[in-house]
Amino acid sequence: MAKDVKPTRKNLMEIEDRIELSERGHGTLEKKRDGLIMEFMDILDKAQDVRGDLADDYQAAQKKINMARAMEGDVAVRGAAAALQEHPEITTESKNIMGVVVPQIESSRVSKSLDQRGYGIMGTSARIDEAAEAYEDLLESIILAAEVETAMKKMLREIETTKRRVNALEFKLLPDLYDSQEYIEQKLEEQEREETFRLKKIKEKKEQAEKEEREAEAEAEAEAEDEVAPDDEGGDTAEPDMEQSTAGGVPGGD
Amino acid sequence: MSQEIAVVGSPEFTTGFRLAGVRRFENVPDDEKDADLDDAVTTVLEDDEVGIVVMHDEDLEYLSRNVQQNVETSVEPVVVTIGSGTGGGGLRDQIKRAIGIDLMDEDEDQ
Repeated sequence: MAKDVKPTRKNLMEIEDRIELSERGHGTLEKKRDGLIMEFMDILDKAQDVRGDLADDYQAAQKKINMARAMEGDVAVRGAAAALQEHPEITTESKNIMGVVVPQIESSRVSKSLDQRGYGIMGTSARIDEAAEAYEDLLESIILAAEVETAMKKMLREIETTKRRVNALEFKLLPDLYDSQEYIEQKLEEQEREETFRLKKIKEKKEQAEKEEREAEAEAEAEAEDEVAPDDEGGDTAEPDMEQSTAGGVPGGD
Repeated sequence: MSQEIAVVGSPEFTTGFRLAGVRRFENVPDDEKDADLDDAVTTVLEDDEVGIVVMHDEDLEYLSRNVQQNVETSVEPVVVTIGSGTGGGGLRDQIKRAIGIDLMDEDEDQ
């Protein structure tokens, strides 16, 4: 990924912005995950209590209905079961735990009194009543368990998603962004170094050119001076000659 | 919205719940569970009127892989299994996967 980005200053700024955002998001998501796990622990304790009650209630209910079957016969029990008029209903409301919507289940008409059951008092025995009552208790436990288990399932799903997001940010997105940032920074630094080097070279060349120009100028000047020099030298030498000649002439003349 | 409780299982299993007033039930006799339980559970799961599905632990073994997964992950309706075991077999795996520790196992040891 690091090699896909163009090493420009604009991209660097964009990546730095993204890193800042991702780091902030990572922190927040980590907190959310930890919070969810703590909430989950509370629910788990509750769920285990409810599960225990559920198992006990089921055993008790089974014992009662087996007894009713044994004493009254299967047909009588089924007959009573088919005669029921009132049916339990549940309504769900939702509660929000750290962004997870968990249900709160309200039940109605689960526990019924003898006369509400509808199978008559005369035709059936107390064992069937006991069995019915035990199953009504069991249903209450089941509704509670359903509420807690739904909450657990939803929270687990949310924890898993949050965990994945945290890990994706921590182990994939952020390292990639850091790589890109480093790559661009190094490229830009290299470009800067190249630029400095280029400028130095240009300066050197310029200086060299100036030096050469100066030398050439100096040479040209020297040459020009050389060209002028023979006349000057003739004049200079002529004088001593003349002086000499005069000098020589004078002693000779003297 | 008011919903109902549904029971799926053998006639012996459902009778007790019917005695408590549950009217939505799917009777699947023991010897037909291999063939019919999948359909019965799917029908109940797809019913919008049903809020809670009650099943026996051991019946989960008769379900095909897909339906079993649906049962374990379904939230609306939620499936509550009761019976011999502590229940929540799928839940335990989910906890292990999501949190990384087998919390239920730890609690059993204590």
